[in-house]
Amino acid sequence: MLDFIIYPFANLLLLLYSVLGHQTVAAIAALTILIRLLILPLTLGQQKSARKMQELQPEIEKLQKKYGNDKERLSQEQMKLWREAGVNPVGGCLPLLIQLPIMIALYRAIIFCVPSTPLELFQFSQHIAIDQWLPGLVGLVPLQSTFLGMDLGQPPSPDQIWSYALPILVFATSWLQQKLLTPSTAPSGGEQSQAAMMNQQMQIMMPLMFGFIALQYATGLSIYFIISNLVSVVQFYLIQSRNGEEKSKTQTRSKKQSDRKSS
Amino acid sequence: MNQSWRQRWPVILTTLLALLLGLSGCAGGAARPVSWMGLTVVGDKMYAADVEQIRVLNASDGETLWSFPENPEENNRGIFYIAPAVGAGRVIVASQITTGGFFSQRLDIVWGLDVETGRELWRFEGASGQYIEGGALSDDTFVIGNGDGNVYALDAESGDLKWNFETGHHVWATPLIVADVVYVGSMDRHLYALNLADGQMRWDFHTRGAFASAPVLRNDTLYVGAFDDTFYAIDAQTGVERWRFESEDWFWGSPAVGDDIVYAADVAGVVYALDAGSGEEVWRKVIEDEAMQDISVRAGPVLSEDGNQLFVGAQVGAQDGALYALDTADGFVLWSKPSEGRVLSTPVVSESLVYEALLYGTHRIRALHVENGREMWTYPDVEEQE
Repeated sequence: MLDFIIYPFANLLLLLYSVLGHQTVAAIAALTILIRLLILPLTLGQQKSARKMQELQPEIEKLQKKYGNDKERLSQEQMKLWREAGVNPVGGCLPLLIQLPIMIALYRAIIFCVPSTPLELFQFSQHIAIDQWLPGLVGLVPLQSTFLGMDLGQPPSPDQIWSYALPILVFATSWLQQKLLTPSTAPSGGEQSQAAMMNQQMQIMMPLMFGFIALQYATGLSIYFIISNLVSVVQFYLIQSRNGEEKSKTQTRSKKQSDRKSS
Repeated sequence: MNQSWRQRWPVILTTLLALLLGLSGCAGGAARPVSWMGLTVVGDKMYAADVEQIRVLNASDGETLWSFPENPEENNRGIFYIAPAVGAGRVIVASQITTGGFFSQRLDIVWGLDVETGRELWRFEGASGQYIEGGALSDDTFVIGNGDGNVYALDAESGDLKWNFETGHHVWATPLIVADVVYVGSMDRHLYALNLADGQMRWDFHTRGAFASAPVLRNDTLYVGAFDDTFYAIDAQTGVERWRFESEDWFWGSPAVGDDIVYAADVAGVVYALDAGSGEEVWRKVIEDEAMQDISVRAGPVLSEDGNQLFVGAQVGAQDGALYALDTADGFVLWSKPSEGRVLSTPVVSESLVYEALLYGTHRIRALHVENGREMWTYPDVEEQE
């Protein structure tokens, strides 16, 4: 179903592998970064939506205080507030849904190029196009599949006990990413603390889930998860610093304006 | 915010669920085939790696003689794909057992079975990767490649490890044993000649493409194709290239070698007849489907016993298959037999029958008459089952 994304990704991975000195992990890292750059507008949209929701938090709290007992009214007022602010409450999730097939396709591309089963390799053999365009790249498949003694096409195994470090790293980087990207909720009474609790649960559940996936699937996927999470973290800090600069510029500008008015 | 999370939770959970399902779909599990069945015919018996069992059938009518394990549901011995090796009173096979649970574990085992009864005689659990293609058996030594990059030589009598030889990548190709030499190709793009006695390397031949099939030896020349779209003829004594033939796609299956002609098929479905001495192209045949579906060929071609016909198994479209019988004189298609299920395993010819294994088919094995492709028997016999 996702073949139209998988095969181009796989061919791109082959190209990167040949350019980066036949280093599979470097090729996976480069492809991950490249794809993250491609979906940057989606990620930015997701983060923007989360930030706006955070900015509206005091307003929401006011509404909760005002219409605490009237759930229907509260919901209507919240919707109105979001509409006026131009925020879609599920808008932040849509990019996540769009990223999902990309993530699956990337995993399959890795598995095709670092094959663990002959059926996968045979399926892929009919879709290698890069050697038609660049004949020098013939014979690239299968890619070198060993990294630090681990087979990138196989899940972590007790034979290579250190391979379990990858799911742990996946968990740790997912947790860090989740912590940074999830908007903080000020703990207060009632429903608000429930939301904070939900956030806290999410911060543990999502990384646990990704750690579990990393435990069950080829270690090549863990490499993707780790790099992808780290890219998100770097992206977050870059956006934060840019927002900080903009904020201080705006504050300086308004301060100057008010000074001018008062003088 | 509470409301927003309430609205987001189902989306996030659905996303995670879809991610798990999507990854499961592509990673494969015990229920989905990850390879193709291997078949071996010795005398009047067929030995088939029938996924959950090794099944020994009467080659003339497909009747089951014995199976190992007898009841896979009660006595799980793993998943069998590789073609059984038969000789010296043994049937030697390999399987992969996956234990479920949070820390799922994989165990790859070579089994030595009694050729008459299927009783387990020994097992070898020393490899850490998957066994993809079959092993080769000499008088007292069984040699097999493994996904952990090693070639293992076992005592055929006891299953004890005699030696192992480490290559730089998976070893999926079946080795070839001739006298006291083992020839084996690796995904590390080398073809190795090793001493059968101790595994010492005699020579290695390096190409740009991986080797996934066994070479064939004729008149001191090894014939083998690789994933660099090239077919090679190599001096068996020295490992020096004699000639090469370049096609437009991978060579995966082993070639068939006639008196003076070598027959090879690339994965795009082009069959080549090459002069064994010079590598000159004698003829080529592009296998085509009447309904214009894509054709791909994984297995090597196989000659009939009289050398007049060449059998080529193919995948047709995404899920179907066909077996083609070509005239060795000019590549003309004498007959073809379509099948429900892909023909990825190397067909086996014995006397007047050609046997094929079908992946994802209602029947898993079919015996066809070499003259006209008439179906002689199928396994399982669906009508009988009904």
